Amino acid sequence: MPTLKIDHDHCTECRMCYVVCRELDINAVYVALEPLHRIEIDARACTYPGCTACLMYCPAEGSIVEVESGRSMVPPPPEAWRRRGSALPV
Amino acid sequence: MVDLPGKALAQELIAQSRAESRSTPMEAVIDAVRDGRFHDEHAFRLIGRLWTLERMFYYVYGGWGQGLELNDFPASVKYLFSRQIYDDSTHEMLYMDTILRQGWAPTQQDVFRHPNGRFVMDSALAYYVFSLRNFATYAHTIRIAALNLGAKILELGWMEGLAEALPDGELKGVFTSQFVENRSHVNMGRRIVEESVSRPIDAELCRWACAAVKADYTRFLQELSDLILDRKTVTTPVATAPVND
Repeated sequence: MPTLKIDHDHCTECRMCYVVCRELDINAVYVALEPLHRIEIDARACTYPGCTACLMYCPAEGSIVEVESGRSMVPPPPEAWRRRGSALPV
Repeated sequence: MVDLPGKALAQELIAQSRAESRSTPMEAVIDAVRDGRFHDEHAFRLIGRLWTLERMFYYVYGGWGQGLELNDFPASVKYLFSRQIYDDSTHEMLYMDTILRQGWAPTQQDVFRHPNGRFVMDSALAYYVFSLRNFATYAHTIRIAALNLGAKILELGWMEGLAEALPDGELKGVFTSQFVENRSHVNMGRRIVEESVSRPIDAELCRWACAAVKADYTRFLQELSDLILDRKTVTTPVATAPVND
């Protein structure tokens, strides 16, 4: 399964991804335990491509990347919209 | 170079708070960690209550923010305050992440309902929160002096002691990763007091507010320490003054 990661060269640390992930109780986005407290994605908890909620709210182009293909998922490509919500908890 | 008007006051408040920072009720918790009497359940109580307090800062800072325009502070003061709100929000996230990662609760909703994460009105935590919120009617310089050069220095002191004693890498990281931001808040407070507190009456208000906030914060720390170590909290009566029309 493909996985997501944050590209810190583009991320503005607005934390919308953190907020929506927490609200959905997926809890894959977390704050790293280092002084910069950057946002990271735990691939073991993330349900992408089933859930693409973080991609829908991310405002910074290129800041969430699909690890395997290396392509930017922000703004989300059309297939991400079609898959939207399919693996969200009921 | 012109001397900043509040420089001596800032130094005085910092020195007083630093002198008190390693004699708070949290020293008993640090001793318990060193003696191997601090286990998973104690850690959940600690992180759960700190999360409850930290999330209430959204409420405190919301009230404070409303008063910022009234006194027409310079842009730097507003920037520093917004930075502080962001940092304290980060710390709230750190505590929640830890609770979920450690498996102490499955979801954030569960932590809201759990005794370790629930906000209780009749508590020292609530008293401290409402006391801080009431500083919304004071000038921003006064309340920042009270929080950043008072309670935050106490917090930094016990957190440094606790982090040093904690053997667990992840739990230690929750605290050590906050140090830079916490020191930065102290420096923000120092700068604001140095630059903006010039009148003797404001200096007196800063001294009073700083002592009041530290007393309220220490009452919360006593409650927290008692909860962690299974002790009964003996509440000391709060000084009240009759109000007449």
